[in-house]
Amino acid sequence: MIKPKALVLYGDGINCDNETMWALLQAGFAPTRLHVSELLETPKKLLTVQLLALPGGFSFGDEIASGKVLAVKLKEKLQTALMEFIEKDYLVIGICNGFQVLVQLGLLPSTEPNAKKSVSLCQNENNKFVNKWVELETSSSNKSPFFEGLTTIHLPIRHGEGRLTIPKNADLSTIKTIKKQSVLRYSSDINGSFDRIAALTNEKGNVLGLMPHPEAFIRWTQHPAWTLSKYPNPSYESDLKITVSPSFAVPHGLSILMNAAKIVR
Amino acid sequence: MTFFTSSKEFETVNTNEPGNNTLCLAVMPKHGLKNTHTISLPIYWLKTDDKTLEETADNIERTELGLALKEILLDTLQEELWCTEINCLHKWTKAFKEMGFAYMALRQYLPGVTDNLAHTVKEALVLKGLPEFVQVASGTLFLFNSQNSEEDIKEKNKYIFFHPITDKFVTYDLTKTYKGYLDFPSVYLPSPKAPQIVSLNVSDKELEDISKTRLLALNLEEMKAIKNYFQNAQVKAARELHKLPNEPLDIELEIIAQTWSEHCKHKIFNCDIVYKDLEKGHTSEINSLYKTYIKSPTYKLMENRTDLLSVFEDNAGIVRWNNEWAFCFKVETHNSPSALEPYGGALTGILGVNRDILGTGLGAKPIFNTDIFCFAYPSQNLPVHPKLLPAKTILDGVRKGVQDGGNKSGIATVNGAIYFHPGYRAKPLVFCGTGGILPITVHRKQGFAKHTQISDIIIMAGGRVGKDGIHGATFSSEALHEGSPNSAVQIGDPFTQKRLLDFVIEARDRGLISGITDNGAGGLSSSVGEMAQLTNGATIELDNVPTKYPGLADYEIVISESQERMTISTSAHNYHELKRLAERYNIEATAIGTFHSRGYFEITRNNKTIALLDLEFLHKGTPKLRLEAEWKKPNINDSLGPQNNDLDKQLLSLLAHHNICSRETIIRQYDHEVQGLSVIKPLMGPKQQAPCDAAVIQPLYEEDTCLAISNGLAPQLSEYDTYTMSIIAVDEAIRNAVCVGCDPKTITLLDNFCWPDPVYTPSNSDGKYKLAQLVRSCQGLEEAVLAFRTPLISGKDSMKNDFADGNLRLSIPPTLLISATGKIPHAQSAISMEFKSREDLIYLLKAGDLSFTGSQYASMNNWQINHLPSLDLKLAAKLYAKLHEAILLQWVKSAHDVSDGGIACAIAECVIGSELGADINLDSMKNLPIERAYVSRHDFILFAEGPGHIIVTIARELQLEWEDFWREYSCTLIGTVNHSGILSFTSAETKTSTKIKISELFKAWQTPLPFD
Repeated sequence: MIKPKALVLYGDGINCDNETMWALLQAGFAPTRLHVSELLETPKKLLTVQLLALPGGFSFGDEIASGKVLAVKLKEKLQTALMEFIEKDYLVIGICNGFQVLVQLGLLPSTEPNAKKSVSLCQNENNKFVNKWVELETSSSNKSPFFEGLTTIHLPIRHGEGRLTIPKNADLSTIKTIKKQSVLRYSSDINGSFDRIAALTNEKGNVLGLMPHPEAFIRWTQHPAWTLSKYPNPSYESDLKITVSPSFAVPHGLSILMNAAKIVR
Repeated sequence: MTFFTSSKEFETVNTNEPGNNTLCLAVMPKHGLKNTHTISLPIYWLKTDDKTLEETADNIERTELGLALKEILLDTLQEELWCTEINCLHKWTKAFKEMGFAYMALRQYLPGVTDNLAHTVKEALVLKGLPEFVQVASGTLFLFNSQNSEEDIKEKNKYIFFHPITDKFVTYDLTKTYKGYLDFPSVYLPSPKAPQIVSLNVSDKELEDISKTRLLALNLEEMKAIKNYFQNAQVKAARELHKLPNEPLDIELEIIAQTWSEHCKHKIFNCDIVYKDLEKGHTSEINSLYKTYIKSPTYKLMENRTDLLSVFEDNAGIVRWNNEWAFCFKVETHNSPSALEPYGGALTGILGVNRDILGTGLGAKPIFNTDIFCFAYPSQNLPVHPKLLPAKTILDGVRKGVQDGGNKSGIATVNGAIYFHPGYRAKPLVFCGTGGILPITVHRKQGFAKHTQISDIIIMAGGRVGKDGIHGATFSSEALHEGSPNSAVQIGDPFTQKRLLDFVIEARDRGLISGITDNGAGGLSSSVGEMAQLTNGATIELDNVPTKYPGLADYEIVISESQERMTISTSAHNYHELKRLAERYNIEATAIGTFHSRGYFEITRNNKTIALLDLEFLHKGTPKLRLEAEWKKPNINDSLGPQNNDLDKQLLSLLAHHNICSRETIIRQYDHEVQGLSVIKPLMGPKQQAPCDAAVIQPLYEEDTCLAISNGLAPQLSEYDTYTMSIIAVDEAIRNAVCVGCDPKTITLLDNFCWPDPVYTPSNSDGKYKLAQLVRSCQGLEEAVLAFRTPLISGKDSMKNDFADGNLRLSIPPTLLISATGKIPHAQSAISMEFKSREDLIYLLKAGDLSFTGSQYASMNNWQINHLPSLDLKLAAKLYAKLHEAILLQWVKSAHDVSDGGIACAIAECVIGSELGADINLDSMKNLPIERAYVSRHDFILFAEGPGHIIVTIARELQLEWEDFWREYSCTLIGTVNHSGILSFTSAETKTSTKIKISELFKAWQTPLPFD
């Protein structure tokens, strides 16, 4: 079977490019790592792949606002190619800083032309960066194909600016749209995000932005409780809500990326 | 130097002239400002050098620049942009007054301080097609209500809103009008002097004066050696040929001083020592501590350690990982800069050691950071001095610096430690460590060596050269001009360095790098001077070195310690490809000279030689120091009190103690998973609250062999005996690694000595004792290293960790940090420390004896006990190897070292991490106290500390096999795991029982550290 192709951007302070490459490879993609400058020189390269990944990191040092300047840079030279790419139903996935870039580019929650910006990713409520594994729930009403077969999942978050906010005067229909397109929620409040939202898609569902890191959970030995899984632990099963069981289940991050491969195949 | 300028003074020095074309921009929230609390807003200054901005505050909305600024600076959903010419800022103050505020303050960086935010705004403006000549500076605008006074605003917010050494902070009373407001922080430098001749044909006294006034930090012997060098006939002839005077130029003296500095040449570790042991009454001669106790054991062990590829040579020690990859590791300290400006100090510390790794071999990729801090715990009892920053300011700044340094560079901070001791009031210790991987072969060349060839081009890549770090702290005390760039303190730029890192790895893989090293202490003079030894010569053409601003003297360019720079050698053939690659990565890479074989380190300006130094002399001409050391056992009286009977309360106090309690608030702010390599994280278990003994990562995605990273230090024992202190530090590092599954046969170590000044002078009257402490520490280190067969592969020393102003003299406790790394054959063999399942059996493994000496329990009760803990080194080595065997058999469910707080705290942590419970039988451990004074004291069993003890659990069904496996060792069944949620210690013999709920243990352990 021919593997779907993916582009993983790097450079300018992106720093999760290598593990995102490896994760996409494990998920069944043929990924290429491409420097931001190189893509901007030849935007057409985008149209040779089926998935564009904007990995996590600190593009431009997160100065001004996270994702801001990389978005400015991409917008100047890539906007047309990017819109065409999305129009063709290919996939864009922005993880953490990549999500922030997609929001700054105005591609989430809407990729409709002339859509008004309606969300921001702001500093966490406690003003602190946080690296912690969290429990997340996929949306039951709007089942995104990225989360096919997943209901409760575990992934790490590693961000200082992940609190999704909407303007004070947002109207009801905007709020409804945002809620509808929030495909992943924190099980409990972790950063003050509106409606505990952890991820958004566009209307069509082919652009996904998420704060948690799927590429950081592609082997069971990445889970903070994996050392328990070596032994039978009836007392924990109910607590953890998942079976920490390396031999049977696919790690949740890998599941998401495998779903992506399924969508474009 | 005035650190902050009050508004009054300011009026007189810097009035905004009419026609001044600085624009001021502020980012305002759309929903308005509430005057109920202090407000801080981002503010920017925009100016051009020679042109007048066409934009004015009135028309900016409609201009390209205005639109671009709005797009770049605002979240248009929440914010709007205010804009004014600087001389119309009173319009804002009027508006703020109407909103009900009483004072405004403006903060901006002092001229020349790295302003990362401004650089990014500038780059974004250029991306939007705006001209390069617009200059940007960033700052903060604060608004205060009338509950504050102007004096309070300055004093109370010092170190919170601004740091006087990096920031300007000016307050304005909104009821008054001012002639001018804080303007653009332009760098001003007078035009530099050409290199000056410095005559050394003078008396000894004058030689010493030259060293002192020029801040060369060279002693008389060294000055005389330099004087002799310039009188040498051959030298004179060579200089004449290059049209140089017979006497040295200032730039040449500066280069020698840098190369011969303690930091670069480690003169104390290399000196001859006369060691008098006053206890035994004999005297011995030690020819270099470094050779005798550090290098020599490693060379002995190397016979059986073929995996050591490069030790003590490169920027880091290099060890073979597999057939394709090598692993390298280095730990540095950044103590003095962190004492001065903690954020910048720690940030440049972490970025600096990252560059060490990047400059190892042909360039290694950093894969993890490890950071160990030694601080004074903020308290009323600490000495106060205007030159000592508040203890909390140091803590917060360092923590933030490491956060930005690690997170923004995409390097996971996987391991670390924080140790509090009032002695670190003299200087905080900030150990920054980085590990990296590099290919064993790069384009058919050894990747772990350098291959710089004659006629290779010298490339400086990354940042530009400024005043940064020139003569460090001493220089900053001189009177400076308002616009003088700050040289004492540097703020790192992790973003530029991340770009540099990406570039170097790509260039290496394309075979474009023949040699590389970083620019740290000593700048180009050190980096090029050292690489010059590869070909036996190098010439730097100063005209080609890019600088941040004009006006730098030639010697300053050569010794500047400006950050984010690598020195690379490349062949003429590869030069153009390297340049093109650099452009793509937005990295400035400039050819600044060539390597040759003429035997000189040469500097030219306008094709004229301005420095010519014989390489042999430069690197090997340092006269050897000869120092005296005197060892006499310190006189410490035992002051043991009776056993406390509230053992539960004692345990809870210990768990809440700042040297034991949870580090979670700090750990969570460090990205410890980026790069996706983590296997054992700092906090594991079902609730992510089990504090692990060591980090485990899987360095290569495609292979599950793992690397364990741990550390050990025991400064609490230094005042008793540094010999034992070293052994315990080594043991702790190794024991921690073994506890997570590391194979002890694969361990390598790094040593980092941080010492108070060990050179005797009348003002440092116990210098001989401190040197003896160093000798004994080295001797203990050697013994431990040989017993464990764990070679030292790299290390560093920092020898002046004192604070002295003539009256007050403070010194740190002598501190040795040992960092260990080793292999775990498969990720599946890694284990975490928390208890796993009910019914599991808890055992205590033991090699050595515990003690109250230096223990947290003793210090909590103000006891001093003069009976050191001890370790049977041979037994410990065997015991750890045996434990590893058991781990590979998958028998061991958890393993945790006994350290601060003793056995009780170790078990409490295992319980907290698991949320299960445990029953501990105190009678099973009654043989632990061997001294008569401690027999039948439960507090000794619970809280004594020392090396060689490990708590492990196994499944009950393995009991027989397990006990047989350990029959020749001390392995005692001490209790069982249950799921009661209670930790109990019982003794049938004394009919006592102490029970504590997990929730109580957890609450105590979660006592927050005083970090923001």
